[in-house]
Amino acid sequence: MAITKRSSHQNHLDLARQITGIALERGMARGDHLPEQSFSEACGVSRTPIRSAFRLLESQDILEWRQEQGYFLALDTPDAITAALGALESAEDSLVTRILADRAERRIGEIQSVSALARRYEVSRSTVLFSLKVLSKDGIVTQLPGRAWAFHPMIDSPRSAEESFEMRLQLEPLALRSLGFTLDSKRAGLLRNQMNEFLELEETRASGAGFRRLDIGFHELVAEGSGNRFVRSALMAHHRLRHASREGQTIPAFRMQQAMEEHLEILDALERKQFDLAADQMTVHLRRSSIRRPAAANRGISPLVRGAGA
Amino acid sequence: MNVSPTIALFPEASFGAALNCVGIAQELRRQGARPVFICHPGFTGIFAEYGFMEYHLTAATAPSAPSSERHWEEFLNTHLPNFNLSPSEQIKSYVVPTWDAIVDSAIAVEDSLRDILAQIRPDVVLLDNVIMFPAIANAGPPWVRVVSCAETEIPDPAVPPYLSGLDPADTAACAAFRKAYVAATRRTHRRYNAFRRKCGLPALPGEIFLENSAHLNLLLAPAGVRYDRANPLPADRFVYLEGCVRRESPFDLPHFPAETGPVIYTSFGSLGALDTALIQRLIAAFEAIPARFIVNAGGYIDSYHRVPDNVHLGDWFPQPSVVARSDLFIHHGGNNSFCEALFHGVPSLIMPYCWDGHDNAQRAAQSRVGKWVNRTGWTPESLREDIASLLADSEMRARLCGISARMRRQPGPEKAADAILGLQRRALRLTRPKGTGNAPL
Repeated sequence: MAITKRSSHQNHLDLARQITGIALERGMARGDHLPEQSFSEACGVSRTPIRSAFRLLESQDILEWRQEQGYFLALDTPDAITAALGALESAEDSLVTRILADRAERRIGEIQSVSALARRYEVSRSTVLFSLKVLSKDGIVTQLPGRAWAFHPMIDSPRSAEESFEMRLQLEPLALRSLGFTLDSKRAGLLRNQMNEFLELEETRASGAGFRRLDIGFHELVAEGSGNRFVRSALMAHHRLRHASREGQTIPAFRMQQAMEEHLEILDALERKQFDLAADQMTVHLRRSSIRRPAAANRGISPLVRGAGA
Repeated sequence: MNVSPTIALFPEASFGAALNCVGIAQELRRQGARPVFICHPGFTGIFAEYGFMEYHLTAATAPSAPSSERHWEEFLNTHLPNFNLSPSEQIKSYVVPTWDAIVDSAIAVEDSLRDILAQIRPDVVLLDNVIMFPAIANAGPPWVRVVSCAETEIPDPAVPPYLSGLDPADTAACAAFRKAYVAATRRTHRRYNAFRRKCGLPALPGEIFLENSAHLNLLLAPAGVRYDRANPLPADRFVYLEGCVRRESPFDLPHFPAETGPVIYTSFGSLGALDTALIQRLIAAFEAIPARFIVNAGGYIDSYHRVPDNVHLGDWFPQPSVVARSDLFIHHGGNNSFCEALFHGVPSLIMPYCWDGHDNAQRAAQSRVGKWVNRTGWTPESLREDIASLLADSEMRARLCGISARMRRQPGPEKAADAILGLQRRALRLTRPKGTGNAPL
């Protein structure tokens, strides 16, 4: 999952952790009331996020909601609370992943409501809402007027993959040529080692998932190094979408290894500070990667080829 | 100095032949040869992704023809209804227009092919097609015929007619089909023979568009489903490959919300993916079947908007690796698909729509390695029953295990590469002046 997703998610969980920590410090026990105002002052935030964090804790049965009385502690030992918070984190991470996977698989439609998702995944509305906010932060969903949420286009078909390459062919070389491009050398070194290990694999062991992880990692490194903030931001958002989508699942082993070698050559050029050369190499690399198979073929008829990337 | 022999592979513009040749080329490369591909427009980059050099044909006619997408739209509108017809009804509606188009395409690339062969100067040419290109016969080096269709492509009294889907025991029906086929294709066949004569090649007898090679012919037909021919093919020129399954990247099973049930792979090839209505109907039926379905939607994946939890859609799969992980393969009877199912010991549920799919469906049912289901003649209930009975058929499973073991003992690509390089060495001995050095490889 993308780093920003974790950060966004972490904010909500951090507040929930803070609240439970304060409750334990105060020696509160099962059944004790948690006043909103008091926790708002103790945490230094307004009552709105406190209310959200209370709902999050309620979804995990750490707190209990009583009509017209407010929230009460439902657990009374630090271990039980820590375990419940841990479960909450993994449940929400898992829900984000499940929603994304189901959308990528076309199992859920483009427009969704919180209630429909809560029913489908058998979780509380607040858990769904938090997951949608995480996805929203990454530009994968947008809240529509009213209660509906809309998914943005994903990279889940030959046509969308082609559009993705068209965009990257413009922006990635631009990122490399931007004034002030800075390579994160520590991360570059780590990626280099991982890519070399991939190249050592036998053809039959080079998996698409392993390739994809390294491929996106390499292109994120390039995006993050860009001196142009707008290029960086557009590319980072697009790579998060690539993470979330299913594009590039099945590539012959030869091409996966060739692409890794191209990544390494680009890294070589960057380490020599030959940014124009790296940008040209990136263009060649992306053009090679963007070649699409014909959509249909049959004897006696020219194969069905769509778009410029073919 | 030894020089790697150059083997030019020329598959027809279909994924079956193209990927079959990839399997052979991978093995040729492993054995030290230099395989290169001659490819039709539209296949640019397909072979390069597997690490092979590509040479691209250009058609002689100006591209005043409709755009690729428009052309296919017309093809769809014309032929989609034909796929629901019986093999004998398809002769006039689908087979004859297809042969006409094949002859046109052979004529259109003749000059370009001649130039490319002169540029490559191959030691051996491999032709995986259903028609002869005179430039190959006239090029000089020995050429190899690859029959990647069903073995019915090479006629024999004991083998049912090509594209008929008939049982050879039904001699009256076979005779009637053959007669109708020859009559319907006569005009196209004459046109093709005129082209051959113009290029200096002799005319071919009725119904034959591609002669056997005098040097080497490779057939995929595995022993487990092979016909006993009345006139056995001479072993010195005809090699059975026991399928020709290529190496592909490993396939990780996708995540399904319900991680239980057998894995069933469905693919009708890129042409069958055009029939989105059939695939949508199948997907709706799959929803009620307790299994996990992996469905190849080809280039039309955007046509699907509501996919059940037990279905995973994709636009392309490394098919041999997927079949290897499947319990059942629902396909169109394409020969590569059929051979991959046999190679991995997986039963086939075949819904053929054209060409040799009918022949393989008939053979699969007759050899009891699968079931032939009519494209339009099924209901969700009958499909569910067919799937359940194929999955539960332990006798079929045992038979398939035996076939698979035999095929794995003699991998087709290895056998093909051995035969091709053997031919290359023989040809070299014949052309090499006495007293020269050792033959390559």
